[in-house]
Amino acid sequence: MADATLDFSETTSRADVATHSHRRRGPMRWVVLAILAVLLLGTLFPFFLALINAVKNGVDYSASGPLSIPTRIDLGSLIYFWNLSDFSRKLLNSVIISACVAVFGALLSLLNAYAIGIGKVHGSRVILVVLMLGIMVPQESIIYPLYYMAKATGLYDTQLSVILIFAVLQSAFGTYLLSSVLGSFPREIIEAAEIDGASTWQILWSVVVPVLRPTLMVLGTFFFIWTWNEFLIPLVMLVSNNNQTVSVAMGLTRGQNMSDPTLQAAASLLGILPTVIFFVIFQRTLTRGVVVGAVK
Amino acid sequence: MTSLSRLALVAAASLMLMSSTAMAQQKTFNIWWFEDPVSSEGIAWTKALDEFKSKHPDVTVNFQQKTFQQLQASGSMILNSDQAPDVLEYNKGNATAGLVSSQGLLTNLDDYVTKEGWDKILNSGDLVLSKYDDKGIYGSGHVWGISVYGEYVSCFYNIDMFDKAGLKVPTTIDEWVADMDAFKKQGITPLALGAIDTSGQHLLASLAYTKADDTWIQNYQGLKAPLDGAPYLYAAQTLVDWVGKGYISKDSTGMKDPDAALLFTSGKAPMYVSGTWNLGNFASTIKDFKWGQFVIPTPKYSVGSTGNLWVVPKGAKNPDLAAEWISLTLSPKYQTELANDGGVAIAADPATITNPVGKNAAAVFKQISDKNGLGFYPDWPVPGYYDVLNQKDTGLFQGTLTPEQFVDQIKKVYDDAQANQ
Amino acid sequence: MAAAQGALATHRRAYYLYLIPGAVGFLLIVLIPQIANFFLSFTVWKGIGLPRWAGLQNYQRLITDDQFWGSMIHTVLLIFSMTVIPVLIGLVLAALLFDYVRDQWGEQVSSFFRAGFYLPQILPVTTAGVLWGWILSPIGVVNIILKSLGLGVIAQNWIGDATYAIWAVSLMIVWIQVGYCLVVFMAGLSRIDPSLYEAAELDGAGWWQRLFSITVPMLAPEIFVVVLTTLIAALKVFAPVFVLTAGGPDNATLVPSYLTYYHFFTTQRVGYAAAIAVVQTILTIVLATIFLRFQSRQQATE
Repeated sequence: MADATLDFSETTSRADVATHSHRRRGPMRWVVLAILAVLLLGTLFPFFLALINAVKNGVDYSASGPLSIPTRIDLGSLIYFWNLSDFSRKLLNSVIISACVAVFGALLSLLNAYAIGIGKVHGSRVILVVLMLGIMVPQESIIYPLYYMAKATGLYDTQLSVILIFAVLQSAFGTYLLSSVLGSFPREIIEAAEIDGASTWQILWSVVVPVLRPTLMVLGTFFFIWTWNEFLIPLVMLVSNNNQTVSVAMGLTRGQNMSDPTLQAAASLLGILPTVIFFVIFQRTLTRGVVVGAVK
Repeated sequence: MTSLSRLALVAAASLMLMSSTAMAQQKTFNIWWFEDPVSSEGIAWTKALDEFKSKHPDVTVNFQQKTFQQLQASGSMILNSDQAPDVLEYNKGNATAGLVSSQGLLTNLDDYVTKEGWDKILNSGDLVLSKYDDKGIYGSGHVWGISVYGEYVSCFYNIDMFDKAGLKVPTTIDEWVADMDAFKKQGITPLALGAIDTSGQHLLASLAYTKADDTWIQNYQGLKAPLDGAPYLYAAQTLVDWVGKGYISKDSTGMKDPDAALLFTSGKAPMYVSGTWNLGNFASTIKDFKWGQFVIPTPKYSVGSTGNLWVVPKGAKNPDLAAEWISLTLSPKYQTELANDGGVAIAADPATITNPVGKNAAAVFKQISDKNGLGFYPDWPVPGYYDVLNQKDTGLFQGTLTPEQFVDQIKKVYDDAQANQ
Repeated sequence: MAAAQGALATHRRAYYLYLIPGAVGFLLIVLIPQIANFFLSFTVWKGIGLPRWAGLQNYQRLITDDQFWGSMIHTVLLIFSMTVIPVLIGLVLAALLFDYVRDQWGEQVSSFFRAGFYLPQILPVTTAGVLWGWILSPIGVVNIILKSLGLGVIAQNWIGDATYAIWAVSLMIVWIQVGYCLVVFMAGLSRIDPSLYEAAELDGAGWWQRLFSITVPMLAPEIFVVVLTTLIAALKVFAPVFVLTAGGPDNATLVPSYLTYYHFFTTQRVGYAAAIAVVQTILTIVLATIFLRFQSRQQATE
């Protein structure tokens, strides 16, 4: 059995040092790189399509279709969509909602996982499975009840309703992940702190969280991205244009009978850019521990 | 303090209180629509809203550009809440306007119809889709909404390609087939079609309606009897025949309307059967060739209807202002404006229209509606029929369903809904 | 000693308090709506007004509904593209990027590739549907490339042909899912003690052998998480089908979530939709439970 790696954040450097000293640089590496590059290009091709069509003139599109390179760069669709959807507002709403869900969802997951993984309360297994119900539920089946509940509490057409709903739904996954990680947290440290007279609250924030921070960051990043792309619940819960998110605004490109392809491409591009930027910033957190499970 | 000055104080205080509450009660008028801002309706209505605002300087006018998608999915939920506006555009038909009116979510407009004189502007054909009974079936009952524009399905054609092939606009189905054959002989697939989308079912229905009489249409749209499949059988057989002869490509089942429209606008296909909602796009993006539209030859009925409705939610705070808005969009000034922006005006005076596209569209619409030939859309009778028809169409075009199987399957869904009303 | 144990016991009770926010949230957002949905499945309701009690009518209808059974079969097929394939590809890519590429080309290059492969995950599905619609259309890129390579005979109507539509949807799903698997696996790989690899290499094990005998077993926790979450997601899948094929052609790509959406919002047969959702949820719970049992059994034998 492998030795317990207690120190979660340092394992990357160990692996680094070890492998570099060992391998030679062979010609095979070019072949592998080429294959990967082709795969990557294939993967990114749809994005390329979005890009060329977003800056394509409508007349161009009607004459030659989506696969042609635009004869000239026309920012018309982008500007039009930005103004039409009041995009800066939608962006702000999406950021607020996604960020709040990331924070609250992670917090909720942490509290649950603390009780289950470290507190090892009775019935942990059952609780975990029950909480998992949160992921298993198809969203369509809870919308009508949630709608009536939101109306009754005056939360209909508020961002808070969406934040609360997604914080709970996302925390199902978060609890599962974190409790699995915390399940293998070294008990000696906890017990030492308990003997020192620390309360569970103090232990949580001064002992557990610092170690868990990389995983929490990853969780938050996932939650942010997943919530950003959510569509059905915001569509139903957010009525006023001022409250709506970016994914709902995409609906503007498809009318009752018509859809405008260059507008769709422009909307797609604008919809992707914020998450790409966010992703680039938080890329590093995704390298560190999503250290999932028991390494006994 | 003397009693007089005390009185004066009280009087002053109450005066201030009254005026402040009066100011707090300043009116807000909320209006929504989902027509595209660059569509003819969007342009005309935006101008009308400007005039409306200047006519009511004491009212805060809040407009929200909505999406069809949102109202489609959660329209009834919104109307059932406090978030509903004073007036909004809503989809006509049993499944939408009919449903919410039968649930008591709309304001009855009967009185406004006479008071504002809408019955003088709109003929009985124009008001058919405004009325819904207690069960939410159109045609009779109170007036729950008003449409101010029209729409219909026709065949868009490439005039240059027709001229080059020496062909004329067909006046009968046989002539139409002959035209298609001529193109086919030259190696050109004549008809662009987006079978996954509306144009598939609209072509189907257009053909079916050529065999429909008054009773059939009324029964069909009103869910009054089990489906008489004969017109659809004819349409299905014709379509399968056309696919066999290569008039319609088998690839069409993988295409959506924008793809098919693209075949037309890029000059690859000389014909495309679809609705007037394409007019705006075609007018602004087709520069390489002359194009026009012809009505699919039919004894009476065409696929078409009056446009979406202005409805007033039950809890609207300013129904009078809402009615005034409706009158404004029905007024000669804005009907002409709509036509001049390329739209299908429901009641414009042709003499005042300068835009040839709008003039033609209004004339065609009038031609159809005057003989009461608006057959409405094939998916209306049954909620969800739109998806059923799309699904079965693709089976038909692909050859996995025979015309008889096709009719059987759509009949099954229809009869089921009809029996379970 | 007794005092310490007493303190620990109090602490144990204190841990229950931490479950309160989660419990409240779960109750309001998940449990109550699910129970409401369960009751709705026994009614006929249009979404507004009052529901009408209808007993087992919806369930009886369900049993004879071809669309429903078809959708179940399609879901099983999609498990393949949503879970199995992305996990396999994710494993190989992760090992390749983490192990080989990082070693031969450096951390930057490896991260660059990982970011690129992850990008499809951050795209809104509605957008992906539009873009893939252009690519897979009969006049789209795939067919153009096939034709120019002289393989025109293979070119098909990928989206519009009932035989191929489900594979078209599967392709888009794999494209979206690989990134998620890749990132989780790569993170997990950093946890594995490299001396294990060195030892294996000294014993003469090749790259593939090392993958199967060391990497896969060590990544077991990550693999379990990914398989479970993608499995559940496969049973719930909605958006890719919605945007690419709308369930067609002729219901060839219909899935339960699409069917419930259709009945919840289009036909407004809310009671019937609720019944379908109940069956769908029960099925998911059963499969997830079986899987979790399997997982804990595997972990117990380690």
